[in-house]
Amino acid sequence: MSLTATDMSPGTIEWLTGFADDEHFIGSRHASWIGLGPFLEEDLAFCSIAQDELGHAIALYELLTESVDDFALLRTPADYRSAWLCELPCEKWNYSLVRHWLYDRAEELRWESLASSTIPALQTLAARAEREEVFHRDHADLYLSRLADGDDYGRAQVLTAVAELLPYALALWEPVEGENDALDAGVISTASADLAASYTTRVEGDLDRWGFEIAWPTAIEGQNCRTVRSAGFEEFLQSLQEVIVLDPNATW
Amino acid sequence: MNTYEVFLKKAGREEFRHVGSMQAPDPELALPLARESYARRAEGDLMWLVDRDDLIVANEALIAPNADKPHRHNDGKRVADRRKRERGEA
Repeated sequence: MSLTATDMSPGTIEWLTGFADDEHFIGSRHASWIGLGPFLEEDLAFCSIAQDELGHAIALYELLTESVDDFALLRTPADYRSAWLCELPCEKWNYSLVRHWLYDRAEELRWESLASSTIPALQTLAARAEREEVFHRDHADLYLSRLADGDDYGRAQVLTAVAELLPYALALWEPVEGENDALDAGVISTASADLAASYTTRVEGDLDRWGFEIAWPTAIEGQNCRTVRSAGFEEFLQSLQEVIVLDPNATW
Repeated sequence: MNTYEVFLKKAGREEFRHVGSMQAPDPELALPLARESYARRAEGDLMWLVDRDDLIVANEALIAPNADKPHRHNDGKRVADRRKRERGEA
């Protein structure tokens, strides 16, 4: 049986679109390191993580639409539901690395919220994704724990990126419109506010383990339930559309 | 950075085979990086990494003198010919 978006409530579609768009854009942003990673082996590892996230995005989009490419690439910016954390360029390695950790800590909780979903395809997907995400979290931890044990320069690089990106990460939990419908239907098991509390515990636990002390920030404002795009988004989207607009009717 | 030699083995009776080398800062980080560099398309089921510094490397002078001993090569032809003769086939 293939589910289509017509079987889902608007709140469910909104929640899943938000997750799918986050996976799409974090994967695309991670993939911009291809050929530019700090060393060859890490270049491959980071872009492999990017591919995993893009794979999750495709699998989620397939539940929402018949035409994944169009939905993924050709919506108007206002119709995307990504969080700003996933849209940011993060052109410096310390920022990309810290975002990877912050995002994957959140992704873990989102898959947990889908693990016993009333939509069977989401249960399957959550189980598959978690097998990949274990490695993603280990990867982030291996680097950040080494940087934490390293010199002042490395520690400062991490702290600078955390200070800037954590407020964006906390805004991942800004609930989408109609979230309660998705909860009532059992598509997701946990409200954003509860996921946010678990997230804080896990992120604080990591920082504590690494010996970083920070003043806990508040979430950025302005996403307006994920309906507003961040500065620079249109340019980013255009870069992703470069191939598809050459021939929008082409079949791959 | 350390250099590691990477070996992979597929299921079944095939032996471990050298598939290449790679760099990593330490053994713990070398494992996931090796996985992504050499096994991300399921090229193997088991993986060994050997720090290149741990290899016991033979001096070329130790190996070279054996290059000119054709009498140590046996292609089995003389034995096969004798057996054929004894079976009366040749």
